[in-house]
Amino acid sequence: MNVIEVENLVKAYTDLALEVVAVDHVNLTVKKGEFTAIVGPSGSGKTTLLNMIGGLDKPTSGTIRVNNKDITQLNSKELINFRLHNIGFIFQSYNLIPVLTAKENVSFIMEMQGENRKTVDERVSEILTAVGLGDRMNSRPNQLSGGQQQRVAVARAMASRPQFIIADEPTANLDSKTTEKLLDLMEELNEKENITFLFSTHDQRVVNKARRIVVLEDGKVVEDNENIKQ
Amino acid sequence: MKDIIKIAWRNLWRNRRRTIITASSIFFAIFFAIVMRSFQIGTYKHMVKISIESYLGYLQIQNPDYFDDPSIDNVFEFTLEMLEEITKTVNVKVAVPRIESFALASTGMLSKGVMLTGISPEKEKEMSNPEQKLVHYAVTDKAIEHLQQKIKPDVIELLKIHNNTSFSSAEKLATALDFQTEDSLILQTVLAQTHVASGYLSENDEGVLISDRLSKYLKVSVGDSIILIGQGYQGSSAAGIYPVRGIVKLPSPELDNKLVYMTLGNINTFLGLSEQVTSIAINIENTDEMYKTETVLKQTFENTKTCVKNWEELSPALKQQIESDSVSGILFLVILYVIIFFGIFGTLLMMISERMREFGIMVAIGMKKFKLVLIVVMEMLFLSLIGIFAGMAASVPVILYGYYFPVKLTGEIKDMMIELGMDPVFPFAWFGDYFYIQGVIVFIMILVACIYPVRTILKLNAIEAIRGK
Repeated sequence: MNVIEVENLVKAYTDLALEVVAVDHVNLTVKKGEFTAIVGPSGSGKTTLLNMIGGLDKPTSGTIRVNNKDITQLNSKELINFRLHNIGFIFQSYNLIPVLTAKENVSFIMEMQGENRKTVDERVSEILTAVGLGDRMNSRPNQLSGGQQQRVAVARAMASRPQFIIADEPTANLDSKTTEKLLDLMEELNEKENITFLFSTHDQRVVNKARRIVVLEDGKVVEDNENIKQ
Repeated sequence: MKDIIKIAWRNLWRNRRRTIITASSIFFAIFFAIVMRSFQIGTYKHMVKISIESYLGYLQIQNPDYFDDPSIDNVFEFTLEMLEEITKTVNVKVAVPRIESFALASTGMLSKGVMLTGISPEKEKEMSNPEQKLVHYAVTDKAIEHLQQKIKPDVIELLKIHNNTSFSSAEKLATALDFQTEDSLILQTVLAQTHVASGYLSENDEGVLISDRLSKYLKVSVGDSIILIGQGYQGSSAAGIYPVRGIVKLPSPELDNKLVYMTLGNINTFLGLSEQVTSIAINIENTDEMYKTETVLKQTFENTKTCVKNWEELSPALKQQIESDSVSGILFLVILYVIIFFGIFGTLLMMISERMREFGIMVAIGMKKFKLVLIVVMEMLFLSLIGIFAGMAASVPVILYGYYFPVKLTGEIKDMMIELGMDPVFPFAWFGDYFYIQGVIVFIMILVACIYPVRTILKLNAIEAIRGK
C-alpha cells in the first residue's frame, strides 16, 4: 500500500534574477512501513522535497498524494490540520517547546488532536519508556542532553501514530554514539509500530540503516535502491 | 485551553528579568496614574465643596428668566409646600430659599454697591452657615494702640502684621499670632481688646450681617447702621436703614467685598415682594448623582414657572478652571501611557523576533495559528494583569491615607491661598471610576500592541520561520 505518491514534482524559485529548480520532475512512491533515506550533496533538493511532502511548502507543479489525497490542493489551514493528523516531524535541532516537560511535549500533539486524557497518558508513558526516557518524563528540554532531546522529538513525532514521519537530518547535531542509539531506536519503532520513515541525511551511518535509499542530485532522482537490507 | 494557559504562563517566566521589568513599568504607570487622578479629582471635589456647597448650592431653582436677567422682577412664588417637595426628593440634603438683589449701601460719606442676600437664618445654617463665619475678633489700629502699653513689643509686631485682619474664633487668632499656652494672659488681653460683638440674625430680625471687607470699606462695625437704596419689585424704589448685627468673613474675596445678609422678611419688605424668592439653593448628598437629581427636580417642577440649574451652569468659571486643569493632568497621563506603550511594544517585538523559529516549528507540527495567537495574547494579558493589579493594590493605601489625612499647605502659600479665597487643603478622592479606568486603558493599550504579533503569526510561513528568515 502506497502512503506517499509524488508525481512530476517541481519546485522552482528565483534567486538573484536566476531561476533555480530545486526539485526537478521528481517521481517517488513510498509504501507503508518503509524506512527510506533521501541522500545527496548539499543543495540537491532533499530538504525542499521533504518540506513539500510534509505540506510545509507548496510545489511549483506536480502532485503529492498521501493515502490518495492530493495535498497540493489544500489551503494553509487545511494543511496545518493535515500535518497534525498525518505527519510526524523530527528536526535537526530537536525543536522541542522549551517551557514544556518531555511528557508535555509528547502529549501536546495528541491533545491538539483531541485525544482523551487517559489515552494520551498511556501512550505518552509507553512511547517515552520505549525511547528510554521513562525516568525523565518531567524534565524540561534544557535539563536533557542533545541525544535525549532528540529522543523526545522522536517520541513526539511517533506518539500519535502518524501516516509517516519526516526526519530532516535528524542526527546532524549528535555524536556518533548517540546517533547509533537513536538510529537503533528509530529502526526498532519502525518495525514495531510499522510507521513509515522518510529522512534526509548526509550521514553514512544513517544511510547504512536505511532499507531504501533515494539519491538526489540537482533536484532529480538519480538512483533509487529498494530493499537493500532484505 | 488549559494547555494554552499553561504554555502562556510558563513562557512569561522564560525571561524572568524582562517580564519583571515590563510588569514594573506597567505597575508604575498604573500607580502614578491612579494616585495623580485621585489627587486631582479630590482637589476638584474639594474646590466645588468649598465654593459650591458653602454658598451657591449644587442645584438652584430659579425663575427661567433670572439666569439671563438676574433682576428682582424675575422672581417666583415660594411656598413651604414647594420646599417640602424639594427636600423629600431623593439625594437632596438641604434646600434654602433666597432673594438676591443689588443696592447701594451708604454710611454718611461712604457708599458702595452691594449684593443683598435674603435668607432664612435658621435654614441657611445648613447651607452657607453665616453664623460660623461671624467675625468675633478683629485686629485694628485702635486695638493695637490700646494694647501697645500692655503687652510685649514682639506681640505688637505680630499684631501689626495682622492689622485689619478678622478672625471668627479665638483659636484662629491665637494661631495667627503664634501664641503658646504660657502666653494665655497676654492672649486674654489681646482677645478682650480685639473682640467684636458679632451676633447672628434671628428669623424676624430687622438688622443685617455685612461682609468683613465691606465693613472695613464702609468703616462700620457692629451696632452701627447702614442705609440701603435700590430698586424694588416692578420698578418701585426701595430704601431703608438697617442696624449691623454682625460681620461675616467670607472665603471668597469677591463676596467678602460686597455681601449683605438680611432675613427673607426684611428683604421682602425692602424690595416690595410678597412671598417671592429669586432662587432656592439645594445641596445634595451624593454629588455623583447630581444630574439624576436635577432631572427628577425638573420633572417635579415641570408645570411651574421655574427652572432647575446645576452649579456648572451657575458657575461656568469654576467649571472651566477644573476642566482646563483636568486636561493638563490627562495630557500628562497620555504622555506616560505613550511611553509605557512603546515599552510594552518593544518587549513584544523582542519576544516575537526571538521566538519566530519556535512558532514555525509549532505551526509545522500542526498547531493552529489561532492557538498560537492565543498563547501570545494571553502572555501579554498575564503580564499586564500582574502590573495592573499590583499598581492598583499599591495605590490603595496611598489613596486611603490622602483621603483621611489630606495634604495641608502651611506658611505663606497657605496664607496666599486663603487670600485668594481657596482652601489650602488637598484631599485625595475616594475610589471611583478613575481607579478602574487606568487599568482598562492599559489593558486596551496592550490589546492594541498585540495587533503586531497577531498579524505576524497569522502571516507566518513555517518554513521561513524555521530557517530564521
